[in-house]
Amino acid sequence: MSDPTAATGVPANAPRPRYKRKLSNYLLDKKLQLRYVLLVTILSGVIAGALGYLIYQQKRAASESIERDLQSLTQADASQEDFQEHVASGLESEDRALVYKMAGVGIGLVVILSLYLLIMTHKVAGPLYKVSMYFDRMAVGRLGVVTPLRQGDMLQDFYLNFKDMHDAVRARAQADASALEKALETLRDSKNQADYRGEARAKMDEALDELDKHLTERKKQLA
Amino acid sequence: MSDKAPPPPAAGAPKGAGGGDRNYKRSWKNLLINKKYQLQFTLFMVGLSTLLMAGLGIWVMKVANETTTVSMASVRGTPCPKVPPFVESAAPEEEAAPVPMKLPEPDGRVPEPTETPAAAAGSGSAAAEESRVRTKVVMDESSMMMIPTVIKVPEDFGQKVVARWTCELRLGGAINSLESGRLLILYVLIGTGLLLVVGLAFYGIKMTHKVAGPLFKVSLYLGKMQQGRFDKVWNLRKGDQLIDFYEHFKTAHTGVVTMEKADIAKIKAVIAAAEHTGAGEHATIVELREILARKEKAIE
Repeated sequence: MSDPTAATGVPANAPRPRYKRKLSNYLLDKKLQLRYVLLVTILSGVIAGALGYLIYQQKRAASESIERDLQSLTQADASQEDFQEHVASGLESEDRALVYKMAGVGIGLVVILSLYLLIMTHKVAGPLYKVSMYFDRMAVGRLGVVTPLRQGDMLQDFYLNFKDMHDAVRARAQADASALEKALETLRDSKNQADYRGEARAKMDEALDELDKHLTERKKQLA
Repeated sequence: MSDKAPPPPAAGAPKGAGGGDRNYKRSWKNLLINKKYQLQFTLFMVGLSTLLMAGLGIWVMKVANETTTVSMASVRGTPCPKVPPFVESAAPEEEAAPVPMKLPEPDGRVPEPTETPAAAAGSGSAAAEESRVRTKVVMDESSMMMIPTVIKVPEDFGQKVVARWTCELRLGGAINSLESGRLLILYVLIGTGLLLVVGLAFYGIKMTHKVAGPLFKVSLYLGKMQQGRFDKVWNLRKGDQLIDFYEHFKTAHTGVVTMEKADIAKIKAVIAAAEHTGAGEHATIVELREILARKEKAIE
């Protein structure tokens, strides 16, 4: 599966590569997508099957009625037996053709519907997948740039909420990092000016070094 | 997403991220949380089923009409036993002799047939000659003979009449039954279609609610995080979808809280070291305390 957030580390003003939908990536959230696809497909199959059976039953009843009448009409005349059989087999093959036609339409419907629903649910699963990837990055403290959704994706409002939150957290983290960096510099300067000695100086040095390392790491995460 | 107020936190609930259970019951009033998403999926499902039902229903009715027509023709063509006709025959001579028809005389006496009809016609013409002004026809004699006939009723006439009309009624009933069968199919189709549409609409909204619900909940937390509040994340309700997605969100939330905690630890260490050196009231340390207070409040 391709990484939709691969551009996270790219500078904000760099041109964003276009991510195209791929057939292999259409089933992003199997549980969510298959649930909906199966529900609609099975439902359509049941409706089509039940009504198709009803159509076949009615058609067969009509054919049987004609066959019965023809049989009673030609009962007395043996020479008409061939004609009666010919008509009966014609009606039977017509009914069989109807079954094949309905089965074909039903299978076609199910296939087209499944593909369409797969694409439709992908437009929901796609944004969720992308947000999940950003969540995973946030979990390890990486707050890169959030790129917009692709055209045609659903849940745009939700994604906008997420982007606003991500941008706010990122901006706050950047502001905090700047403030801490400034504090670090000021404290280092004041430490050099003041004459700290012994344990106090060692503790101060250690704390400032730790803060320095922390800020370096944080800047990398915010890049 | 709608801008509904977030649910209030449960009293005495443990603080900090990491999940927990709160029993929020689903309410039918809140079924449509994300109208755009929910209605789009539900209407697609309902529309598709309606189209299928209508298309196939019309096909069913077309075939049912054909079948009914064929069956009705078949029923109409079913022969019923015929009612035998009455047989009219002259009565045998020994039973009834021909009775000549005679007009009564003015005095009421029935004359004997003494003259032939031709002779009677001759005497009549003489009388007509006498009264030219006003023609008066007097029929005094007729040769018309009334021969009594006997209508012969077949022995099984009654049974055959009953059989005939029973058959006619049975065929009429069969035709009515075919017609009502056709109507029944139509009503069943319409009824099933309506039930399906209503049921699917309800089910569709309920099903999409299980996806929209977690999204709504996450949106509320996103709003809080945007404002710098990283309070406890509660678990989803039973039956909700997007459980994996929600787990991703929870790890992200935990990650941000961890970042804040790391900042707090570093700031606390610097403040402690500064206080140890006696620089606790330094302007930078005061500023660091403000940042620390904000960050501690954020993860409460």
